[in-house]
Amino acid sequence: MSEYTVLGKSVPRVDALEKVTGAAQYGGDVHLPGMLHGKFIRSKHAHAKILNIDTSEAEKLPGVRAIITQDDVESGRRVFATDKVLYLGEPIAAVAATDPDVAEEAADLVKIEYEVLPAVQDVMEAIQPEAPHLHSDDTKDGPARRVLRTELRKLERDDSQDHSARIAELNAQMEELADEVYYNVSAETHSDAGDVEQGFAESDLVVEDTYVIPRVHQTYMEPHVSVADVESTGKVTVWASTQGPFAIRSGIAGTLGIPLNQINVIATTMGGGFGGRFGVALTHVPAVLLSQKTGRPVKIQMTREEEFTDGRPAPGCVIKLKTGVKNDGTILAREGLAFWDSGSVSGASIGSTIRLRGVYKFPHLKVDAYGVYTNKSGTAAYRAPGTPQVAFAGESQLDDIARKLNLDPVEFRLKNMRVEGDPVPAGPNEPKVGYKETLQAVADAVDWKNRTKGPNQGWGVAIGDWTNGCGPGGMFVSIHEDGSARIFHGSMDITGTDTALAQIVAEILTLPYDEVTISRGDTNSAPYATGSGGSVVTFTMGNTAKLAAEDTRRRLLELAAERLNTDVESLELKDGQVSTIVADPPKSIGFGELAAYSLSTTGGPIVGKGSFARKPSTPALAAQIAKVEIDPETGRIKVLKMASSQDVGFAINPMAVEGQIEGGTVQGYAWATMEEMQYDEGGNVNPGFVDYRVPTTADLPTVQSVIVEVEAPDGPFGAKGVGEPPITPTLATMANAVADAVDIRITELPMKPEKVVDALHGNGK
Amino acid sequence: MRNFEFFEPETIEEASDLLTKYNGTAELLAGGTDLIIEMKARTAMPEHVISLEKIPGLTGIDYDEESGLRIGALTKMRTLENDPIIRERYTALAEGAGEVGGVQIRHLATIGGNISHGSPAADTAAPLLALGAQVKITSADGERTVPIETFFVGPGQTVLKTGEIVTAFECPARSANQGSQYIKQKIREVMDLAFVGVAASATADNGAVSDVKIGLSAVAPTPLRATDAEAIVNGNSLTTELLQQAAAAASAQSSPISDLRCSAEHRREMVGVLTRRTLQAAVDRAQG
Amino acid sequence: MKKHPVSLTVNTDTYDLLIEPRKTLLATLRDTIGLTGTKEGCSTGDCGACTVIVDGKAVTSCMMLGVSANDKEITTIEGLASRDQLHPIQQAFMDKGGYQCGFCTPGFIVASKAFLDENPNATEAEIRHALGNNICRCTGYTKIIEAVMSAAEVMRNS
Ligand SMILES: Cc1cc2nc3c(=O)[nH]c(=O)nc-3n(C[C@H](O)[C@H](O)[C@H](O)COP(=O)(O)OP(=O)(O)OC[C@H]3O[C@@H](n4cnc5c(N)ncnc54)[C@H](O)[C@@H]3O)c2cc1C
Ligand code: FES
Ligand code: FES
Repeated sequence: MSEYTVLGKSVPRVDALEKVTGAAQYGGDVHLPGMLHGKFIRSKHAHAKILNIDTSEAEKLPGVRAIITQDDVESGRRVFATDKVLYLGEPIAAVAATDPDVAEEAADLVKIEYEVLPAVQDVMEAIQPEAPHLHSDDTKDGPARRVLRTELRKLERDDSQDHSARIAELNAQMEELADEVYYNVSAETHSDAGDVEQGFAESDLVVEDTYVIPRVHQTYMEPHVSVADVESTGKVTVWASTQGPFAIRSGIAGTLGIPLNQINVIATTMGGGFGGRFGVALTHVPAVLLSQKTGRPVKIQMTREEEFTDGRPAPGCVIKLKTGVKNDGTILAREGLAFWDSGSVSGASIGSTIRLRGVYKFPHLKVDAYGVYTNKSGTAAYRAPGTPQVAFAGESQLDDIARKLNLDPVEFRLKNMRVEGDPVPAGPNEPKVGYKETLQAVADAVDWKNRTKGPNQGWGVAIGDWTNGCGPGGMFVSIHEDGSARIFHGSMDITGTDTALAQIVAEILTLPYDEVTISRGDTNSAPYATGSGGSVVTFTMGNTAKLAAEDTRRRLLELAAERLNTDVESLELKDGQVSTIVADPPKSIGFGELAAYSLSTTGGPIVGKGSFARKPSTPALAAQIAKVEIDPETGRIKVLKMASSQDVGFAINPMAVEGQIEGGTVQGYAWATMEEMQYDEGGNVNPGFVDYRVPTTADLPTVQSVIVEVEAPDGPFGAKGVGEPPITPTLATMANAVADAVDIRITELPMKPEKVVDALHGNGK
Repeated sequence: MRNFEFFEPETIEEASDLLTKYNGTAELLAGGTDLIIEMKARTAMPEHVISLEKIPGLTGIDYDEESGLRIGALTKMRTLENDPIIRERYTALAEGAGEVGGVQIRHLATIGGNISHGSPAADTAAPLLALGAQVKITSADGERTVPIETFFVGPGQTVLKTGEIVTAFECPARSANQGSQYIKQKIREVMDLAFVGVAASATADNGAVSDVKIGLSAVAPTPLRATDAEAIVNGNSLTTELLQQAAAAASAQSSPISDLRCSAEHRREMVGVLTRRTLQAAVDRAQG
Repeated sequence: MKKHPVSLTVNTDTYDLLIEPRKTLLATLRDTIGLTGTKEGCSTGDCGACTVIVDGKAVTSCMMLGVSANDKEITTIEGLASRDQLHPIQQAFMDKGGYQCGFCTPGFIVASKAFLDENPNATEAEIRHALGNNICRCTGYTKIIEAVMSAAEVMRNS
C-alpha cells in the first residue's frame, strides 16, 4: 500500500476537460487578425543544382504578400537551399498570402530550374567511392583500418626507433582494406572494452548477422505549425507547437540574429512530438522571416505530405552484429558495426549504438558506428533515439542463440543480466537497477512457464534499456487566499507531466489534488525549463516541483508559527492546514488564512521556488512478450497477446504510466510490422498514410501493461522517466515471436506479409 | 486546391450537358473521396465541379426475384455493407464495400465513384465482376448498358465518354444455392488499399459447382475476370486438386506490376492463395 | 470565382455563409466559423482527426466540400457536452485516460458517438473495427477502447 494520499493514484489529468471538449488550443488553432498563410516552395528532386528561381508569376497572383528565398535571410544562416538541393522536399522559398489556398497556388507558380544530379539513398551504397559525395570527398577509416591507423600514427611519431618496416607493413594492410574507406560519413563513434577477438576465441558459439532497420516517422498527429508575429519594433512573438519553447527561442535568436529578449515563444498545446518537435527549422524560422517581411502575423502549417518529405524522422540503419557465448549460455563477447542513415545533415541517434551491449554482463565489447549522408531530409529523435534499432539487432541475435543452445529465452537473459554494482562494458558500474525484476514481471504476467501455442503461433520476448535524461528547470508554487495552490512553470506537457507535478505539490502540501492548479507561462514569463524529450520531465520538473513545494511549506510553517505563537518545529502540514504536532489543545490554521495574512507581512505573499538542474538519472528497462499467429500463406501477422513491463521507479500516476507503456509498445509493434519510409532515386515515395501505415484500433488487442517499481535514488519519490523505454524492445519482441511461430529469422524490418512469405519460401515451406 | 465553379444540377440531362459543355475541364463529384484527394494533390485541377447529389433516383438498393438487384450509383459503401439483401445474396459485394477505407470514408464513398474512378484496386470491382454486374450509363443522348468486364479500359480509364454518367449497377437475381466471397490482401486490418483483391461467386449444383465467376483487383491494369480459372472449376465438384489448378490459372491470368507496395511475384502468388480461399468459401456459402 | 451561399446548422446554431467551393467542410468549420475543436491531421481522409457528424453519420470533414454540407446538420466535438454535463464518452475518456496529446481525441469521441448511437450493443471487436478510420499515435488504443466500452455501458443504462 502506498503511504501517499495523492501520489501513486490514477487521478484524471489536469487538462482532461479541455482535451475532451475540443477546447484545448493547439498551434493550428491560433488565429490572429490580419494573419497571412505561408507555404513552401520545395525541391522536386532528391539531388540537384538550382539554376534559377523565378518568382515573377507567383508575385502577380492577387493576395500574395511576400515571397522569400535565402537572399532574404540577413543573418546568412542557411534556411533555404540556394545552389543545391539535397533531398526531395527541401525548402527553396516560402510565400505568404492572404489565404492558404492562394499561398499554395502561388507556390505552384514559382518556377525553378534544376540540373538533376545522381542521388544516393542506401547507406551501404553511400559509403562507396562511386556514390555521389554530398558534402565533400573526405573519407573515414572503417573499424579495422582505424586500428591500423592508430598504431601507424603512434609509430610515425616515435623517433626513438626505426619503425619503417612495420610502417610499410601497416600501410600494406591498410591498402588491402580498401573497402573500409568510407565516403559520406557524417559522424562516428567508437567504444570498446576487453578484447573481442579473445572473447570470440573463448566462445563455444559465435553468431553473426546483419540487421536492417528502416527510417520511420514519429507521426505525431499534429503536423508542425507556427504563427509568428513580428511587431514594427522588431519584437517577435511565436506561437509554437513544440516540445521545447526555450530551445525554439534560442534557435530563432541564433538563426536570425535577433536578441533573445526580443523573442517570446508561446507554446501551445501540442499534438504529440515523440522527439520530433524540437527544431526551429521546419516552420518557426520561416514564419518569423515572412512576418518580418510583411509586417503581418503569418501562420505556417505543414501538410502531412510535407511532414513525410521534410520532417525529421528517426534514422534507419544497418547493423552488423556478432555475439559469442559459452555452451551454458554465458555471454562473452559482442562486436557491432552500425551505419546510420543521417540523411542530408549530420543527425541523431548514432550515440545509442553503445546500447548494443544491452543490460548483460560480459567482458568483451567493441562498437563502431558511422553516420552516413544520403539524399533524404535530416533526422531527429524518436522515443529513445537509436535504441529500438540496436535492441532489434541485439535481442534478435540473443534469441537465435537461445534457440541454438536450446535455452529458455527468458532464463538465458536473466542469467546474463547485470545487477547493482556489476561492471558495465565501456561504462561506469551499474547503479541500483531492476532489470531482472522487470523481465520476470512480464514473464509472470503471461504465465510464461506454462505458455502454450497452436499451429503457426509463437511467443517472443525481448528487452530494451534506456536512461532518462535530466535538465534544468525552475518553478514557482504560490498559495491563494482560498487556500489552494498554483504551480507556474514553463515546461511542456504532452504525456500528463503537469498532472504528475500537481500530484507532487498536492502531496507535499497535503492538499487535495483538485486544489492544485497549474499554469504554463511563455518564455517571457516562465522560468527556464528543459525541453520535453528524453523522458526528462517527470524526473527534472518533478524534482523541481518537490523543491518548490518544500519551499512553500517552509514559508507556510514560518507564517503559521508567527500566527499561532509557536515555533516552526512544533508544526506540521496536515489536510491542507498547518497544525501543531503535539500541542494540547491542538491548534491549526488554514492555508487560505495564512495566504491572506502573508499579504501584510514583511516577507510578503507565499511563493515557493524550485530550481533544479542535474542529478544522476537511473537506467530503466522495458521487457515485452508477444504471442502471434502467422498466416503462412499470406504472411500476415496477427498479435494475439502483447504484454509490456517497465521499471518506472515509482508510478506517480499509474494510469499515465500505463498510457506511456501502451503507446510506446504499439509504436514499436508498428515499426516491426508495417512502418517504413520508402525512397527511390527521386526521394520519398510514400509521403502519406495510404502507404505509410500506422496501426489502427483494429490491428492489436489490448496491451497488458505491467508496472515494476525499483526506486530511482535521485528521482522525485523514486520516479524515473517513463516515456521512452516501452518502444525499445518491441521490434525484436515481434521478430522473435515470428521466429518462434514459423521458424524464420527476419533481420530486415518491417515484416510485411511479402517478407514473411518469402522467408517461409526460403525455408522450403 | 485550385478554385473551381460548383454546380448542383437536379437532373441527369442537366449534369450531362454541363459535362459536355465543359468537356475537359469538368469533373463529376459523388462522395468526393477520390476527387478531393486528387484536387488537393493538384493531380486533378477541374475548373468546373458538378455534384450529383441533388439528382433524384441515383441512390438506393432495389431487389426483385425476377429482375434482380439494382444499386444506384450514388449509394454509399456503408449502406451496401449493411444492407440485408446484399449481405445475404451478394455477400462478396457487402465485403468489398466494407473493405473501403474506414467507416467515415464509407459514409461518403459511393459505388459509382469507386468504379468510375477506374482504379485497378477498387474494392467493389472484383465483387461486381464475380456477381456479373452490368453498368447503367446515361448521357443527354440516352442510356446504354455495359457489362462490368468491358467497363474498365486502363488504370484510371473507363469506357465513359464525354457527358456520360454512371447511374446504376445491376446484377442478376440470386438464390440461396449461390455464394460469394471477397478477400483483400492487406497489411492493416482496416484502412489499407488492396495489394490484391479476389472475389469469387459460385452456384452449388448437386455436388457440382456451376456459374463460377472470379474477379481480381490490383493485379492488372484493370480489374479483370479470371476466366481460365472459372473454366477449370465450372461443372465439376470442388476438390483440393481442382482448387490448386484454378489458383494457378488465376495467377497465370493476372499481370501484376511491382511497386512500392509489393512485388509482382507476391501479387501473383496471392492471387492463387486468395482464389483458392474465396472459391472454397463461395461454394461453402452456396451449400449453406 | 463565385462564392456560394450555404446554410450550415452546426451543433445548435445556424450559420449563413458565403464560401469558396474549394473550401472543405473542415476549413469552413475551423477558419470561417471558428470552431477549432475539429482537427486536421492529414487532410486526406486517413486519420479521422477531422471527424464530424453530418446528418447522423460520422464523416471525415476534410473529405467533404463546405458547399456539399449546405442545409445539413453538423455535430462537432463542441456540440457534445451540455452546459453542465459532459457526454458519457467524454467523461469516459477523462476517467479512463483515453488520450494523451489529445489531438486525435475530438475525432475519436465524435466517431465513437456516431457509432454507439447506431450500435449501442457493439462488442469490443466491432468497436475496434469501427474506429479504424481514426489514428491515435500516443495511446496505443488500449485506454481509448476501454473508454468507449465503458461509455457504451453508461449510455445503455441511461
Ligand atoms: C482515406 C481513404 C481510404 C480509401 N480506401 C479505399 C479502399 O480501401 N478501397 C477502395 O477501393 N477505395 C478506397 N478509397 C478511394 C475512394 O474512397 C473510393 O474509390 C470511393 O468509392 C470513390 O467514390 P466517391 O463517391 O467518393 O468518388 P468521387 O471522388 O466523388 O469520384 C471519383 C471519380 O469518379 C467520377 N464519378 C463519380 N461518380 C460518377 C458517376 N456516377 N458517373 C461517372 N463518373 C463518376 C468522378 O468524376 C471522379 O473522377 C479511399 C479513399 C480515401 C480518401
Ligand atoms: S484530417 Fe481528415 S482524416 Fe485526417
Ligand atoms: S492522444 Fe495523441 S494522437 Fe491520440
